[in-house]
Amino acid sequence: MQRWLGPLLGVLLLGGIGIGIYFSAQEQQQLTQQQALERQQVTVRGVIGSEKEDFFHDARVIEALRQRGLSVAVEKAGSRQIASLPTLEQYDFAFPAGLPGAEKIRRERRALAVYTPFFTPMVIASWQPIAEILEHNDLARQNGAYYLLDMKKLIDLMNADKRWRDLDHSDAYPVGKSILVSSTDPRKSNSAAMYLALFSFVANGDEVVQNDEQICRIYPAFRDIFLRQGFTEYSSEAPFEDYQVMGMGKSPLVIIYESQFLQLAAQGRLRPEMVLLYPEPTVYTKHVLIAFTEVGQRLGEALETDPALRRLAVEYGFRNTDIAYFREFVSQHQAPVADTLVNVVEPPTYEAIEVMITSIEASLDRNRPDSFVHCDRRNP
Amino acid sequence: MTTVRKTIFGWLGIGLCLALMTGCGREPETVLKVLAGSELRDMTTVLHDLESETGIRLNLEYAGSLDGAERLAGGENVDLAWFSHGKYLSMLTGSRVAAQEKIMLSPVVLGVRESRARAWGWIDNPNLTWRDIAAKAASGELRYAMTDPTSSNTGFTALIGLASAFSGSGEALQPATIDTAALKSFFTGQALTAGSSGWLAERYVQEQDRLDGMINYESVLLGLNAGRQLREKLALIYPQEGIVTADYPLMLLNPAQRMAYQKVVDYLRTPDVQRRIMEQTRRRPAIATVRPDARFPDRLLVELPFPNSLQVIDQLLFAYLDEQRRPGHAVFVLDVSGSMKGEGIEQLKTALLNLAGADQSLSGRFARFRGRERITFLPFSSDVQPAQNFQVSDTAAEGKDMRAIREAVMELQIGGGTALFSALQRAYQIAGQAQATESNRYYSIVLMSDGESNEGLSEAEFLQWRQNLPEAAQRIRVFPVLFAAADDESMKRLAQATGGRVFDGRTESLSQVFKAIRGYQ
Repeated sequence: MQRWLGPLLGVLLLGGIGIGIYFSAQEQQQLTQQQALERQQVTVRGVIGSEKEDFFHDARVIEALRQRGLSVAVEKAGSRQIASLPTLEQYDFAFPAGLPGAEKIRRERRALAVYTPFFTPMVIASWQPIAEILEHNDLARQNGAYYLLDMKKLIDLMNADKRWRDLDHSDAYPVGKSILVSSTDPRKSNSAAMYLALFSFVANGDEVVQNDEQICRIYPAFRDIFLRQGFTEYSSEAPFEDYQVMGMGKSPLVIIYESQFLQLAAQGRLRPEMVLLYPEPTVYTKHVLIAFTEVGQRLGEALETDPALRRLAVEYGFRNTDIAYFREFVSQHQAPVADTLVNVVEPPTYEAIEVMITSIEASLDRNRPDSFVHCDRRNP
Repeated sequence: MTTVRKTIFGWLGIGLCLALMTGCGREPETVLKVLAGSELRDMTTVLHDLESETGIRLNLEYAGSLDGAERLAGGENVDLAWFSHGKYLSMLTGSRVAAQEKIMLSPVVLGVRESRARAWGWIDNPNLTWRDIAAKAASGELRYAMTDPTSSNTGFTALIGLASAFSGSGEALQPATIDTAALKSFFTGQALTAGSSGWLAERYVQEQDRLDGMINYESVLLGLNAGRQLREKLALIYPQEGIVTADYPLMLLNPAQRMAYQKVVDYLRTPDVQRRIMEQTRRRPAIATVRPDARFPDRLLVELPFPNSLQVIDQLLFAYLDEQRRPGHAVFVLDVSGSMKGEGIEQLKTALLNLAGADQSLSGRFARFRGRERITFLPFSSDVQPAQNFQVSDTAAEGKDMRAIREAVMELQIGGGTALFSALQRAYQIAGQAQATESNRYYSIVLMSDGESNEGLSEAEFLQWRQNLPEAAQRIRVFPVLFAAADDESMKRLAQATGGRVFDGRTESLSQVFKAIRGYQ
């Protein structure tokens, strides 16, 4: 748009307001309120994980925030990339997905306050024929509209280098690809880090990984579930989009946020053959807002406490304290998601996750030393 | 139309322009510089609409795959990059890519003449594997066209897919799982190579009677099938192990242009535009709300994993060049007449030295003379000088073979006239004789001259003589390089007559041109 258009439109708008004042006393009052609100508006700039982009672009969210004097401008990045942005503190807030990435920011940057307005469990998006093959092989069982996936058995198959065509009853998917879960790049994105959290818990005999000795025991299995996938993408949007666009041939199993799947269901875009698998156990991804400025704090508070915003977050598939509305929303859209999850584990500490990711990084970039290379034997 | 009505329409037009605030022949508000793959030329209409609807113009500058990647890794100042895939680029340039979004999809597949595909039982055969295809190539029954993987993205993507399929491992390729023997047997069927997929498709049309198929984008093959140039349609083959899909990510390199980038991406990914792209370019949509239409085969497309390490990819490319592809025999017909004195001979020497190991840049390393390759230098002025033959077994820059080639280059002497067609005749005699004893090599002739032929055979005499060569020798292509006062028309006729391609050494350096020609040798 031409540079002069902005001011010109501004002048026209003011002119319009002038006419409004002239014509109606009642309208005048409304417009003054409006003007007061406009005057109070502050722009809040932040970097967010891509999975929250649609939420911030929703007209209702924009309006609810405007009512509180906030106009939010977001840029997206991989949730772990956010932590290493050199100019991060020039923003008012960072809003990555996942505790480990948030913890890194909280430690390394000057944070004024931290908020956790919503969370979502990690799930696996799959396809009806795949779910049936898994069921036949005693890896998954149907539970209403969704499936429960035995992570221990799946991990055993992955570690044994099994392929899809090796499974019984695999006629619907007689593919030579190895059984693997597609994820993002663990160096850059939280959803892969959450997959690592989940994997390490199960591989470590159902115990949260706490020290190098335990990590050594599950090496190189925790690394290979990523390396064997080949090229992975930086942000959780990409593998889920590949799932929808390229289908079962590209992505038989993809680890995603439940919120992504629920959002798709709410938009009426689930195809009948798309199914959701809940890994047993699973982990939650907490969405953590780190405020660097006072306006960033205002946004964090608004997201945590404003009932309208909390309901809107639910409409984007996130879970929060408004459990009643989550239930209502799910049943309204007949979304195939679980009401409550019992088998949820904690992710490892920030340090433990970092240690494992650094090891994966070393394998991908051979110029770096891998401190676990001496542990090189198959996971028991 | 009356004046009054014209005036009314004029005012209406201006009113519309004001209402829409864009288009109407005005200059764009933002111009973004884009380094792009040449196959994106078919996006012109879409990009024109983009400009009139968003005020953003994309200025596309075309580059080859490795060439483009190298320029970006070297920090070239562009706003966006747009190639058929961004994975290699992401690995090479690391954090330079600030954002990327897929715009459209096209798998790289094999198209086989329908009669052959039917005879071999390949049509709609879910059990067909790349190994079955390799067997037909090795037996000499399947002769196909495929671009050079170091020059063009289709060849590159195909090589990655083939290597992953042959590795048999079902997961990302590792150095240990590259099956060189299988790849080698597959490439014995490669009867035509090229530096660009567009030129490859053109040549396929010209030479369709002697070829059985072509590896290219699904979009290109569907386009050929929809047109009238093919005497026999191509059956698209999607083997069981899987394929690799090009996903055309639009990549942001200049973070200052993030707003404009986002507007472009949002526009290109709207359902209407996605539908238009699908209709016009035969590429599949990149968003789930637009489903591929009936032109695309509705079947399970198994996507093979893409390697996650540059070392693996480099190793794969070098193994292709030095071990797996049909070895080449490249004859360089080199004008050393008096007029080459000064800058001409210097540029020529630099270009040849670069191919003999002096250029250690990314693209330079892949353009160098290859393992098993034969090189013949045939310098000429008034007379055709004795040919100098080299056989490369050691590809190291400081190895004996590359050193011997560099020494020969340094000894090139200038002086005399331009017996161009006599030299070319000699080149065909040399290549033809070699071909008679070693038919499996890929023969080609580069003709580099800075002026008109003024001694020896005439063009007509040469062309007449060439017609009496054995059929196989007649298929040896000439790649003329336009330089200084070269006779453009004559060079074009030569390229045309031999199925070669003219390269312009005036707008680009001879080094760049010689590098580009390597994709055709």
